[in-house]
Amino acid sequence: MRLRFSRKMLGIPYAVFLVFFVIIPMLIILFYAFTDKEMHLSFGNFIQFFSDPTKLSTIVYSLVIALITTAVSLLIAYPVAYILARSKMKKKFVILLLFVTPMWINFVLRINAIRELLGWIGLLGEANYFNTILGMVYDFLPFMILPLYTTMLKIDESFYEASADLGANALTTFRRVTLPLSMPGIASGITMVFLPSMTNYVVSDMLGNSKVTIIGKFIYEYFGTNWHMGSMVALILLIVVFLSTWLTGGFKEDETVRGANL
Amino acid sequence: MKKRRIGALALAAAAALPTLLFSVGCASEDTVVLRVFNWEEYIDEGGEGSYQYDYEVNEDGSAPPIIEDFEVWYEETYGTPIRVEYSTFGTNEDMYNQLQLGDEYDLLCPSEYMIMKLAAEDYLQPYDEDFLDPSIEGNYYAQNVSPYIREMFESNRINKEDPDDTSTWADYAAGYMWGVTGFTYNPAYVEAEELSSLGWDIMRAPQYKNKVTTKDNVRDSYFVALAICYRDEIEALDPDADDYTQKLAAILNRTDEETIAKVEAVMQEMDENIYGYETDTGKADIVSGKIWLNFAWSGDAVYAMDLAEAGEDEEGNETESTLLNFFIPEECANLWFDGWVMPKGANKQAAQAFVNFMSKPENAVRNMYYIGYSGVIAGEEVLSYVKDCYEVDPGDYESEEDYVAYDLSYFFGDTVEEGSAVFYADREQAEERQLHAHYPTLEVTKRCAVMDYYGEEANEAINELWSRVKSETLDTWAIVVICVGVVLVVAAVLTAKFGGKINFFRLPHKKGYRRVRQENCR
Repeated sequence: MRLRFSRKMLGIPYAVFLVFFVIIPMLIILFYAFTDKEMHLSFGNFIQFFSDPTKLSTIVYSLVIALITTAVSLLIAYPVAYILARSKMKKKFVILLLFVTPMWINFVLRINAIRELLGWIGLLGEANYFNTILGMVYDFLPFMILPLYTTMLKIDESFYEASADLGANALTTFRRVTLPLSMPGIASGITMVFLPSMTNYVVSDMLGNSKVTIIGKFIYEYFGTNWHMGSMVALILLIVVFLSTWLTGGFKEDETVRGANL
Repeated sequence: MKKRRIGALALAAAAALPTLLFSVGCASEDTVVLRVFNWEEYIDEGGEGSYQYDYEVNEDGSAPPIIEDFEVWYEETYGTPIRVEYSTFGTNEDMYNQLQLGDEYDLLCPSEYMIMKLAAEDYLQPYDEDFLDPSIEGNYYAQNVSPYIREMFESNRINKEDPDDTSTWADYAAGYMWGVTGFTYNPAYVEAEELSSLGWDIMRAPQYKNKVTTKDNVRDSYFVALAICYRDEIEALDPDADDYTQKLAAILNRTDEETIAKVEAVMQEMDENIYGYETDTGKADIVSGKIWLNFAWSGDAVYAMDLAEAGEDEEGNETESTLLNFFIPEECANLWFDGWVMPKGANKQAAQAFVNFMSKPENAVRNMYYIGYSGVIAGEEVLSYVKDCYEVDPGDYESEEDYVAYDLSYFFGDTVEEGSAVFYADREQAEERQLHAHYPTLEVTKRCAVMDYYGEEANEAINELWSRVKSETLDTWAIVVICVGVVLVVAAVLTAKFGGKINFFRLPHKKGYRRVRQENCR
């Protein structure tokens, strides 16, 4: 049979990538999570996880830290994105760049810099949770601003005009027009900030002096000593993440296309 | 030892590897390959940091890494070309995981407890019987190893539980670096007398709240807590008794349930008092004055004291010069070793040749100079290096109080001329600074205990204890309340979502006008 080129073949590289770097690793995690040290099938890790208050507390703490980080990022990013998207300013991309450029600087460098700054102010070692959240907000803010900005940019001016024509005041316009239409941006921003702030233990180690333990650190430590428990924690985190993505509507096609338009 | 400066030089090593591979890419088929797996930054890597830099530079101005010199030496000595595949790890556990994944090496450099674990799990093969025979030419390790270290390796059994298994560390391991644990401290803020009275309890002392750090590493912190828990018992031991070392080691290796419970309470108190856990930020933090006391391995302490004194940070930028001291608690400290072991299937001949080459005293000095730790090798060259660093002329001192006769005969033994291992040293150096950390005296090492491998079960219990100490644990009722809350939120979101879908979002487009009308009617 002659091999003929078809457009479908363009998908082969991605399929290979998908199999080797997504599907097989997932299966390995699944396998490790439900086996014990002798490689026998076991639910021991699952039971141990849900009967250990330390592990459950860590999940709760990570969730709370991630929620606060997301909320603060949203509160800061929303007005910025709104002003930038609505302004008639000619060089507004410069301001946008100012928010985004930190993202282009090495992550470790930024965290070290903020660590020095906090030490200088005297907060380092005194307010570990505050520092951790501050660091995460600082790091993930661009991921919140960008999707919000792109979504708001696409809101047609005529919507606002119509709203004004129909006698809505500023608050009503915001509630009935801006907010619903920027929902996809909010959803994708939340997904992009919430997930890393549950796992990025470099921030909590550096700014919380390793006294703040989040679920990512847990996984890291277990992979030093017990891969089976580590895989189980990773799997549970995966489920939490999946649920939160689903709840914020991250899987809806039309919305992700618009929201993740970075 | 343990996880160390990971930053700059790991990158340098990674960058050097491809060139290394490239330069030997065209070697002939009968080239021997030696796969060495060592700690990051734990060997002379040449360049400006090398001991040889000042007097033996290459044409391009760089000093060669010691591994290149080994390759040349091996070919000259044995007539076969050799290529070293050198890779590094960050923690003993990382190394163990790599082995379990099936990575194959000829030579590893784990710490003592990991050597015990690997030997107990039958990963290792013993050294040749004549490896420790100093009369054979080329046995540089046997000829130059410090009698103190040799005794240590021959008296510590691999498996202490099984009376029939009489194998010792010496059967499976050849020493590389060693040291003790203690605190680096900033004498500008901390009184030495106060430290002596506190001992390891520094970690819980309210006057050092938020000014002291420990390692983000369960074994080191567990040791500290043990020493705090059993201080009275340790101090009641008679240091002159024959079985003092065994008794001390037995106390500092307890892992029974009662001990774990006591240790947990102490570690919780430590957790509340300390500034934080660190793996490599401690050195910078103590120099900048953020902390006053930093739990440290002796080699790291020497490095930190040198940097602080020279007024440099780790990247070589100028900073203010600070004097730091090193304190080893008087009641006890942890004595640790890193040693070369050969996994099953290793090329024994080449691996042993590598160990012997690194054990030539001049090479031992190169490695020590580069990494700052203390090697296990004695001999004239090492002694003269130590004297170069620390020997003083009493004629320069006005008062006899300011210098002491420092006795390292226990370490150098018969590898040097009798009596030459006693030299005059500055009192501060000998009692609280670099020399004290670099080569502690016999009195200090006598009070040190080796931490064994705890065994699978105890290890797991201690790891769980560690995660309990480091995480905040909520009360059960709080967890239940939060879980119920989460379920409610999920339910609320789902209702809102699907409710909205039915009424508002997902109506077919054809009926869109009805939606508009409904909206207007509200």
